Amino acid sequence: MKRYVPLVLFLFVLSLGARPAHATIDDALSFALEAADPYVKEGFTVREDYWGGDLPVKTTKAIVHQLFKGNEYWFWMGTDQKAAKISIHIYDSAGNLAESESWSKPHFAAARVVPKKTGSYYLIVEVEKSPDERTYWSLAYGFK
Amino acid sequence: MKKALALALVALPVSLFAADPPAHIDVSKLPSQAKMIDEVVVPVPSEIFGVLDKLGKPSWSQVQRPINGVVQPTGESPQIALMLGSVIAEGFIAVEAEDAIQVKQIGKSVLNLATPLGVGAEVKKRAQAITDSADKKDWNDVRKELDGALDDVKKAMAKLNSEALSQLVSLGGWIRGTEALTAVVGKSYTKDGAELLHQPVLLDYFEKRLAGLKPKYKVNPLITRVQKGVLEIRPLIGLTDDVDISEKSVQEINRITSDLIKSINSKAP
Repeated sequence: MKRYVPLVLFLFVLSLGARPAHATIDDALSFALEAADPYVKEGFTVREDYWGGDLPVKTTKAIVHQLFKGNEYWFWMGTDQKAAKISIHIYDSAGNLAESESWSKPHFAAARVVPKKTGSYYLIVEVEKSPDERTYWSLAYGFK
Repeated sequence: MKKALALALVALPVSLFAADPPAHIDVSKLPSQAKMIDEVVVPVPSEIFGVLDKLGKPSWSQVQRPINGVVQPTGESPQIALMLGSVIAEGFIAVEAEDAIQVKQIGKSVLNLATPLGVGAEVKKRAQAITDSADKKDWNDVRKELDGALDDVKKAMAKLNSEALSQLVSLGGWIRGTEALTAVVGKSYTKDGAELLHQPVLLDYFEKRLAGLKPKYKVNPLITRVQKGVLEIRPLIGLTDDVDISEKSVQEINRITSDLIKSINSKAP
C-alpha cells in the first residue's frame, strides 16, 4: 500500500495546480463585462457578442476590427486568472498606436480609441504573465 | 544592494512593470490569424447609424423600403438568410424614420424568416422585444434588440454548424445597410459621410466567405450575383486609407447594392 503513497501525493499536488473545471472563457467574459459596467453608465452600448480563447504567456493575438470615425470605442478584456497580467492595445491599419488611453489591473485590461479615420484597426491582446501554461481571456466592446 | 533593489521592485504595483506599448508595429509581421482576416469583427449596424445620427438628420423615410404585411421566406436557405439580414437592416432604417408600424412588421418578419433557417425559437423573444419597444417608441431599445437579433442568429447558427448561412445573414444586412447609407450620403455628399463606406477589410472578409461557401450554395444564381456585386464594390470603397471616396463611387455603390437587394427579395433571383 505504501508504494502507492508517492503516486497519490503526486496526483494530489497535480490536482492543486490544476485549473478549476469551471474556469472557462465565460468566466473571463464575466470579468470583461464587469470592466464594462461603469462605461455603460456613461452611455456606451455594449455589443452582445464577444471574442476569446486561451493564450500562452508572452503570446499575442491580433483581431481585425472595422471602426468608424465619429464613434468612440472601449475594448474590455477579462481573465479568470487573478495572478495573470493581460493587456490590450489598438493600432491603425498602418501599425501606429491609435488608442487614447489604456489600463491594466488584476483580471482586467482595457483600451479606448476615438478613430481619426474610418477603416480597419488591429486589436492586439496579450497575456504578459501568468502562473498558468495557458490563460483564458475574453474581449467585449462598447461604442457611443 | 542589488538584492534590496530587487525586493523593492517586487513590492511595486504590477502595472508599473508594464512597458509602454510600442508606438508602431509592423502589421505585416502580425500573427497569421490577423493576416488571414479570419478574425474580422463585423460591426453591428448601430455603430454606423450612430455616426449618421451625429452627421445630421437625413430624411430616412425616403430611404425606407416599406414592407407590406409580413415578409415571407422565398427560395432556398441562402436566399432566406440574405433576406433575414436585409430585413434586420430595414429595421434600423425604420428606427431612424421613427416608424413604429414598420418596426413591428419587421419584428414579425424576422421571426418568419428565422424559423425556416432553424433559429426561430432563439429569436422569438427578441422579435417580441422589438415589437414591445416599438410600441413604447423606445428607439434606442429597438436598436439594441435588432443588434441582439443579429448576434442571436449568429450564435444559434453556429450551434447548428450553419456558419456559412450566418455569414449570409451578416452580408444581407451589410448590403441593405450600404444601400441606405449610399442613398443618404448621395443626397448631400460630404467626404466625412462617404468615409463611412471605407470598409476594405470587411469586403475582403465577405469575399473570402463567399468564395469558401459549400458547392451546393455556390451554384445558387443569387450567390453568384452577390459575389459579383461584392467584387464590383471592392475597388470603389477606397483601397487605401488616404483616398477619398468620390460622389460618383457613392452613386455606383448605391446602384450595385440596390440591384442586389431587388434580387434578394425577388421570387426569381
